[in-house]
Amino acid sequence: MANVVGSSVCRTAEDEGKPADWVPGGEKQTVVDPMKMFHELPREMQFITGSEAARESMRRANIDIAIAYPITPQSESMQQAGYLYDEGFIKEYYRAEEEIGTFSAISGASRAGVRSLTATSGPGLMRGMEAISSWPGARTPIIMLNMCRVINTPLAIQPDNIEMSFMLNTGILMLHAENQQDFYDYPLAAIMASEQVDVTLPAVVSVDGFFCTHARGPVKVTPAEYKLPPRDGWRSAVPAMDNENPPARISRDAPIQKSNFISYHMHASWQQEVFAAVERSAKYFRDYLGGLVEVINPGADDFIIASGCAVSQAREAVRQEGEQGRTVGLVKVKTIRPFPVEEILDAVKDAKRILIPEFNQAGWLHKEVCSVLYGRCDAVIKDGPRVFGGMTMPTEMILEWLAEFRKEVK
Amino acid sequence: MLIQDNLILTRSDPSGNGGTQFIYRLKNYGLTAVSRPQEEISMIHWEVEIVKFSDEATARFEICHTTELANKTLKFYTDKSLNEFLGKAFQYFEELGSLEKMLPQEP
Repeated sequence: MANVVGSSVCRTAEDEGKPADWVPGGEKQTVVDPMKMFHELPREMQFITGSEAARESMRRANIDIAIAYPITPQSESMQQAGYLYDEGFIKEYYRAEEEIGTFSAISGASRAGVRSLTATSGPGLMRGMEAISSWPGARTPIIMLNMCRVINTPLAIQPDNIEMSFMLNTGILMLHAENQQDFYDYPLAAIMASEQVDVTLPAVVSVDGFFCTHARGPVKVTPAEYKLPPRDGWRSAVPAMDNENPPARISRDAPIQKSNFISYHMHASWQQEVFAAVERSAKYFRDYLGGLVEVINPGADDFIIASGCAVSQAREAVRQEGEQGRTVGLVKVKTIRPFPVEEILDAVKDAKRILIPEFNQAGWLHKEVCSVLYGRCDAVIKDGPRVFGGMTMPTEMILEWLAEFRKEVK
Repeated sequence: MLIQDNLILTRSDPSGNGGTQFIYRLKNYGLTAVSRPQEEISMIHWEVEIVKFSDEATARFEICHTTELANKTLKFYTDKSLNEFLGKAFQYFEELGSLEKMLPQEP
C-alpha cells in the first residue's frame, strides 16, 4: 500500500477512506518565515471561540503529532484537532489512555525529533505532572495547550488558574493568554521559541477555560495557506533519537538516565542549563510577541499587574477610570516563564500603588511580582482582588478595590 | 462577523461572566450585544439590549425597554440575523433622533 503522495508518514489515502488522489491539507500549505507570519502577513478578522482559535493556530503550526486525553474544558480543542487530522493538517493523532500515558508518549514523540502537541486542563495536568516535570530536563520542545480549570475540592469545571503555580519551577516556558486572539498567536510563538537551539524546552500556553475556550471573541488570523517551518530535530540542544538505528539512545549523556548512579554535579549543571535556557528564550518572545509585557498608561500612580482573563477585566476598569478622569496603568504579563523582571520594574518605577487581580486562591502572580519588586520599588503592592473556584471578577470589583486602595495609601 | 458601523466599544463582558460585549451607538441610543460562554458551540448566541446613553462623553448607559424596537432582552442565534436587526435598529435610531428634535425643547 503506497503512502499518500509526498507524505512523510505512513498514512495512506485508502486507510483514511479518502479518494486515491487525496493530498493532506498540510502539504498544500507554503512554509513562511515566522517573523513574516507574526508581523507581516495580512490578517482576516473572525469571530470564533478560544477552542476554534486554537484549531486555527494548530492548522498553521505544521504539527507532526498530537496526543491528548479529553477533559473539560480542553475536550473541544482536541476535537477540533481531530478535524485537522482528518483534513491532513496534523500528520498523526491519537487519544491516549490517560494523562500520564499522554504526557509520556508525547515526550517520546518529541525525543524522536518531531513537532509534538498535547493539551489538557486542571486535574488532567495534575495527573500528568510527573511526566511533565521531566520534559525540560529531557530537552523536549513539546507544545502544550492548557485550558485552566478548578483542581481543588469542591471540584468544578469553571475557570481558576491555580494549576499554573505548579508549573512555575519546572523549567517549562509558560505563556498566559488573555483572550481568543492570544490563544491563536501564543502557541505559534511558543513553538518557534521552544525549538531554538539555545532554548530546546517545552512550552505551555495557558488560557482561562470557558471564559475563552467556550466563548467567541474577535480573532485576526493569517491566511491558512501559510504554515510555520517544520521542526528540525537535529538542530537542538540535545539531538533527536535515531530511531532507524536501534537501540536508540534516549539522551546524549547516558548517565543522565541512570538515576541511581547520577553525579550530583551532573544533575545540578543540567538543571542550571535548563533555567538558563528559559532566560535565553526571552529574546525570541520579545521578537515574536512584540515584548514580554504590554503596558498601558506608563507613569501612572496606580498600576494593575495581571495575566490571563484578569487583564481583560482590568483593561475595562482602566477605561472606566479614564472616563472619570483618573489615569490607571496596566501591565499585561504575557510570559510567566521567562518572567519579565526588567520590563515590570521599568513600567512601575514611579507607581505608588499596585493591585494584582487573580483568578486563583494562591496568588501566584502576586508572589512572583513581590519577589521581583522587593527592595527595588517604593510602591505598596496589594494582593487582590482574587476570585477562585469559578467565581467571576466583575469590573466593579476591581474599581472598588482601587477606590479602597487610594484611601489606604495616600 | 458583526457589522462594524457605529461600533464604539468592544470589551470583555464587565459582569465578569466571560464573553465579549459589543456596544453600538447612534446619537443618544444604541444597543449592546454580548456573547457569553456556553457548554456547546451550537448553544452560543447573542443577548441584545436596546440602551439609552447617559451622556455624550462616556459609554455609560441605561437599558431601555420602552422603544418600539424591543420591550425585553433579545436573543439572536446567528451573526446574520443580528446584522439584519442592527440595520433596522440604526434606521430607527436615526428617525428617533429626528422625532426627538421636533419635541418642544425645555428652556
